Amino acid sequence: MNSAAFRNLLRWLLALAATAFFLAPLLWMFAASFQTEARIFAPGFSRWFDPAGWTLENYADAWRRVALGRGLFNSALQVLLVAAGGLVVNTAAAYAFARLEFRGREVLFALVVMLVILPVEVLAIPLFFTARDLGLTGGPVAAMAGLTVPFVAKAFNIYFLRQHFLSVPRALEEAAVIDGAGPWNLFWHVALPAVRPALATVVVLDLLAHWGDFLWPLMIATREESRTVQLTLANLFTQPPVQWGDILACAVLATLPVVLVFRLLQRHIVLTDARAGIK
Amino acid sequence: MGDLMFTVRPPRRFPSWPALLRLAACLFAFASAGHLAARDARVVRVWSHQGQEAENRALRESAAAFNAAHADRGMRVELTFFPDFQYAEKLAIAAAARDLPDAFDLDGPLVARFAAAGLLAPLDPHFSREELDDFLPTILEQGTVDGKLFALGSFDSALVLYYDREMFARAGVEPPPGGEAWTWSEFLAACEKLRAAGLAPLSLHMDESADEWFTYAFSPVVWSGGGALISPGAPRVRGVLASPENVRSLSAWRELFARGHAPTDPVDPDLFGKGLVAMDWTGHWMARAHLAVKGDKLGVMPLPRVGERSVAPCGSWCWGLSAQAADNEGAVAWLRWIVDAETGVVPAVRANGAVPARRSAFTAFPEYSEIPYKLFRAQLETAARARPRTPFYATLTARFAAALRDIARGADVAARLRQAEDEIQSVIDRRAPAAKEAARP
Amino acid sequence: MTAWEKARARTAPLFLLPALALLAVFVVWPLLRAAAWSFTNADLLAPGEARPVGLGNYIDLFTDARFLRAFGNTWLFALLVVPLQTALAFFLALWVDRPEPAWRWLRVVFFLPVVVSMPVLAVLWTLLYQPAQGDTMGLVNAALDLVGAPPQAWLRDPALALPAIAFMSIWQGVGLQMMVFLAGLQNVPRELLDAARIDGAGPWQRVWHVIVPSMRNTFVFVVTVTTILAFRIFVQPYLMTRGGPGNSTLSLVQSIYETTFVSQDLGRACAAALVFLALVGVLAGLQRRFSREDRE
Repeated sequence: MNSAAFRNLLRWLLALAATAFFLAPLLWMFAASFQTEARIFAPGFSRWFDPAGWTLENYADAWRRVALGRGLFNSALQVLLVAAGGLVVNTAAAYAFARLEFRGREVLFALVVMLVILPVEVLAIPLFFTARDLGLTGGPVAAMAGLTVPFVAKAFNIYFLRQHFLSVPRALEEAAVIDGAGPWNLFWHVALPAVRPALATVVVLDLLAHWGDFLWPLMIATREESRTVQLTLANLFTQPPVQWGDILACAVLATLPVVLVFRLLQRHIVLTDARAGIK
Repeated sequence: MGDLMFTVRPPRRFPSWPALLRLAACLFAFASAGHLAARDARVVRVWSHQGQEAENRALRESAAAFNAAHADRGMRVELTFFPDFQYAEKLAIAAAARDLPDAFDLDGPLVARFAAAGLLAPLDPHFSREELDDFLPTILEQGTVDGKLFALGSFDSALVLYYDREMFARAGVEPPPGGEAWTWSEFLAACEKLRAAGLAPLSLHMDESADEWFTYAFSPVVWSGGGALISPGAPRVRGVLASPENVRSLSAWRELFARGHAPTDPVDPDLFGKGLVAMDWTGHWMARAHLAVKGDKLGVMPLPRVGERSVAPCGSWCWGLSAQAADNEGAVAWLRWIVDAETGVVPAVRANGAVPARRSAFTAFPEYSEIPYKLFRAQLETAARARPRTPFYATLTARFAAALRDIARGADVAARLRQAEDEIQSVIDRRAPAAKEAARP
Repeated sequence: MTAWEKARARTAPLFLLPALALLAVFVVWPLLRAAAWSFTNADLLAPGEARPVGLGNYIDLFTDARFLRAFGNTWLFALLVVPLQTALAFFLALWVDRPEPAWRWLRVVFFLPVVVSMPVLAVLWTLLYQPAQGDTMGLVNAALDLVGAPPQAWLRDPALALPAIAFMSIWQGVGLQMMVFLAGLQNVPRELLDAARIDGAGPWQRVWHVIVPSMRNTFVFVVTVTTILAFRIFVQPYLMTRGGPGNSTLSLVQSIYETTFVSQDLGRACAAALVFLALVGVLAGLQRRFSREDRE
């Protein structure tokens, strides 16, 4: 075997090892969720091939025990509302910062940019009181609002979308103006379609980011019916009797939607260069 | 300019925004409708900590019985459980969000804090004088703050030292006569004898996740030694928690670990029941299980004393009514139900083997003439001492429990207690002018 | 401005108002409130009765053993995660920076843990790290067992718990940083690389002397973001070890959370939150300072 083929083989082995390392935990999670309780941590690998050990009872049990369907619904609704609301609100603001001339634009934008680095963990405590004062705590509808409304407007999304609006060629807009387009048409029919990839990107990022929210739902969604799937999982995990099988089943169900969304919309994600101001 | 000509109509590849918005609006409306439809004004939201499985079952059954009995009035209880260690946190979040459940149970020592914060509705208007007289005085004391009754429990607690008679006989250990308690040196000597006979002496449940266990179970050691956790009057731990008496008492306690008589990290929560240790320092909640396993071999004695007297802790979970639910008929009905001798006390005590809170309920428990229950009742009449009633209890217990854990693992007693003093005192000092409640050690 | 542009400018408030109003109410206002409360002795259950205590909360924080421990743990965690994750992400990016479809697939594999939400991963890795009890053990110990290494207590061992969580966090996050590096790699000037190759520079030399310097800003960005993300850690220790054993995995955010809902001390919690914010601000500032100005 010559050195090139050898290096190729090495590369393939390395790739295989890396794949195994990154995928093994997730594959284990998936496979173990179908095992009976006693077999999950049992030693030896032969049990994986024993058909008797495979079961769906973990899923049935988890679904029954902790209103898993409700949790999934709450999570789905929450991320959709945040993404949808964010799309409207942040895109509009980004466009204004990019293409509309008004006094104090640069100063206002600089202020918005300063908010980008604010971690939610810093805000969570006082935000809790703001949410309470605005009636965003309590019953399920209020809690859902409390889970979503504070996160609809995002400084990072505004920043990111503004970058993309800035790179829409002026010639496109000028042509449309010549065709008689008013300000609204310019936005709706010229600018928006031009930044479609960026819009898809922020939607996917929002969906992925908020599906895994934990600290905030922990504080806002205390009532059983308001829980997101992550809280449901944490509940299964901490509330005796602790059944590993149920937990794994819940974990798998909490993961599938996100992985699906990711696979479907993966090609829309546009990762820009890290350097500010450059696309 | 040909390539720059641009039509004003958007390409149709991606779903149109108006359609998406309409879809989102429909989804939201559908979801809200689903949410709103489920809510019925007469539902009483009730939270409880998750205790032993039997207790939880009994509570669920009581709730079901309540629902059945009150169906004609449309009142219904919705019961939610939270694991012990999370419960206080969840209550705090709900309290801060002003979204407390209509009725909830809380640990006795915390009543002072909730009452001071205005979160509990007074219960006096809902019970007659005769009914209140039926309760054990320790129960009323536990729930009374500033002369007003804010919480009532269905049961009270007891902590004793269980032992296996057969293992004692094998090791040649004599249990103390009558209802007396061992002195600490007698206790240690017994442990030595058990070790010599190849038996593990003692389980102290150091694996408990809830901080409250440590304060509850081991404050009696402090009290027996003549010390206190916090001073009466203006709440003060400085000089009180790390007093010489307490250092002596807890050093004696630490001997149990230093000499290997009790494990600091047990893997099994029920070593005694499995026959792996000869003595169990635990409460009434294990009486049922231990009786079932050991039968006649089960013995009980009061906690060993480091000082003049053996002291036992008391106090337990009790039920409160949220201030916001003061007018909620259903919530009040639930409260009356769950502390009623027949519908609340008896099922609860049947499940957890605790001491009934109401004298009229003792008739349902003939076992109270036998050990270990006899000892429980006797202790509550004579040797019980409540944990400090102070708004700072949460901090007190968390820091004291942490200190106890570290002391068990070999930390220097005086230094560690002083550290706990500092931690607790700093919290008290911040609030001192606002704290009006008197703390009782 | 022409009349048309003026008309356009008039629409600006319509576009801006929703986002800015939401940001003002849900970001700026809470921040100001936290700042205000941090100088008082506000109590969780009665914040309205708060009384000013000046810098007391801040001073107390730096003598509070628990806060300092949380602070230290968080730094330690960042020190474990940032260099390792950054280096790994960079090398992975170098490795998969090939157009063939097989390598694209590898990118997805590396990125998959990023997509799976953190609470799920925290729960999963708790199971993977299960210590050995007789014959049963988690996958990690089973793997060790296969190569003859002794099983460890991992999350129950005060010395191993934080590194174990760090390892898992690196596994989770490296894919995201790898993508950023990949994007940055596209901007390394080909001419420089070719020139280096012609000059006889080997692959490592090319990496060290051409690629890394050209990607300086990307490196600074990745290090900053990873550090900030490391500081924000909450879910993993909260679910996996609750801050134990012995406070060895207590994180800054968890200590803020506990100060709020267990100690119920709102004032001090806000002070801690602002200290945290200051830290993040400093890191972000450092990033700006160390990023070279771009040639536009």
